[in-house]
Amino acid sequence: MKLIVFCLFTIYCCSLVKASTMEHKKLKEVLRELKMLKSNLPNTELMMNTPPKDIEDCCCLTALTCFRETLLEHFGISGKYQKKLYKSLNHTLTVSTFGLNFCNTETSTTNCSTCHSHPKENASEFFNRLESLVQRVRLFQIYFRKLYIKY
Amino acid sequence: LFFSFSFLYLLCSTSGYILSLYVDCLVVNLDYISCTWNKTGTPEVNYTFYSKLGNDQWKMCNHYLTENNVNIGCNKEIDSRDRFKTFRTQLTNGSEWFEKGHELKKQVKLNPPTNLTVLNGSDFNLWFYWNHTSPAPLHCVESEVRFRTNNNNWDVVSAGIQKYCINLPSSSSRYELQVRNRVDDACGESIFWSDWSEPVVWGSNNSTYAKNSMSPWMPVMYVVGAITVILLAMILLHHERWQLFVTSEGFFSLFFKDWFQFSKGLKDNFKPDYNERACPVREYNYVSQSDVVSSDGSTCSVTTDQTDCSIEHDPEDLSAPFPSNPVSSEEVQKASV
Repeated sequence: MKLIVFCLFTIYCCSLVKASTMEHKKLKEVLRELKMLKSNLPNTELMMNTPPKDIEDCCCLTALTCFRETLLEHFGISGKYQKKLYKSLNHTLTVSTFGLNFCNTETSTTNCSTCHSHPKENASEFFNRLESLVQRVRLFQIYFRKLYIKY
Repeated sequence: LFFSFSFLYLLCSTSGYILSLYVDCLVVNLDYISCTWNKTGTPEVNYTFYSKLGNDQWKMCNHYLTENNVNIGCNKEIDSRDRFKTFRTQLTNGSEWFEKGHELKKQVKLNPPTNLTVLNGSDFNLWFYWNHTSPAPLHCVESEVRFRTNNNNWDVVSAGIQKYCINLPSSSSRYELQVRNRVDDACGESIFWSDWSEPVVWGSNNSTYAKNSMSPWMPVMYVVGAITVILLAMILLHHERWQLFVTSEGFFSLFFKDWFQFSKGLKDNFKPDYNERACPVREYNYVSQSDVVSSDGSTCSVTTDQTDCSIEHDPEDLSAPFPSNPVSSEEVQKASV
């Protein structure tokens, strides 16, 4: 009986580590697709609602949602790169990284600005800010994983 | 008109003076931001420095960098993720204000790697290891090494995370290696590489040792080789054929004995009184293929105009074996008698 419990606990711990590894790889995939889209931008003069650079930690998920929906609204998913990026931004792993791992439930998220309240920026700035946000979250996610493994 | 020109002159000169206070900010090792304003020379007066990171309030500098008792820069401690935030700076001497925004994400310069060591692995490869001191995770740091062999030109290549391998190094060569790093693309690539680390050298001391360690074996190999050659020579000397070879008579009898047997006829041909017997030429009767089938069942082709004088054969000698040629009618009649 003790052996079974121990095995189940080991499997549970390994799955958590594996999940965080998958999140790590997912964000890297997002960055790769973003880079491809940036180099194939159809219209760089387009102005879009863009979340600011100084997003609070607990508003990162709201910002991600804004980026994703703005991307859908202005670029659609007909293009190959747009479709891939949208799917990656909508993936469960991406959402969980931005939400659960990045903000504890005690902090309120009601103070986060709505998407349409953000000032408009051109497409180049839009994608640069999205890239910075993903890199920032990824960096924190790596820290989180190290701490989790350590403790 | 005069006043407008004067105003323009004052404006330009003032602007030029403010523009000369160009503030450069760099994130050092992801630990602190270092801003300096002495790029065009040491300022004449002391300026007060303020900075605003993200949504924080403006804060005055509490760690100035000075040169000749004049403030020329400021260091501000940060968290490694702060470089993704907006960063604004203000310089003021009370009457003049200069404000500027900075993009810090890529303005990062890490400290050079430390503790660069080299090991000769059990796989006979040369392994180099190092540490980096920044708070960046390992997967966010990109490394590059440069190495040279025997003080030749440097080779610059990408390296793995905190290690690099040189395959099967030569024990008589000297290897020197340095490494540098920066934040990689997936974590906000820095445009600056760190300085090169302190070099590590392998092979300069070992080459002497290798020479000394190899020298006892070389004479041994020479001695063994010499002994082998001598033994082979002795075996040959004691051999009967070798003894015969020494004398000229034995030489000819040894090598040409058998050959002489086969070419005895040739030898005889060179005698002055040589007389060759005429070779009879005959016409052979055709023999059907069913009569000349060999023992293994294969059939042989038959020709009708074949002459063969290579085998010495007396037509009167019935005891001699039949030749391998088709049978002549005369010989068949004589054999049957």
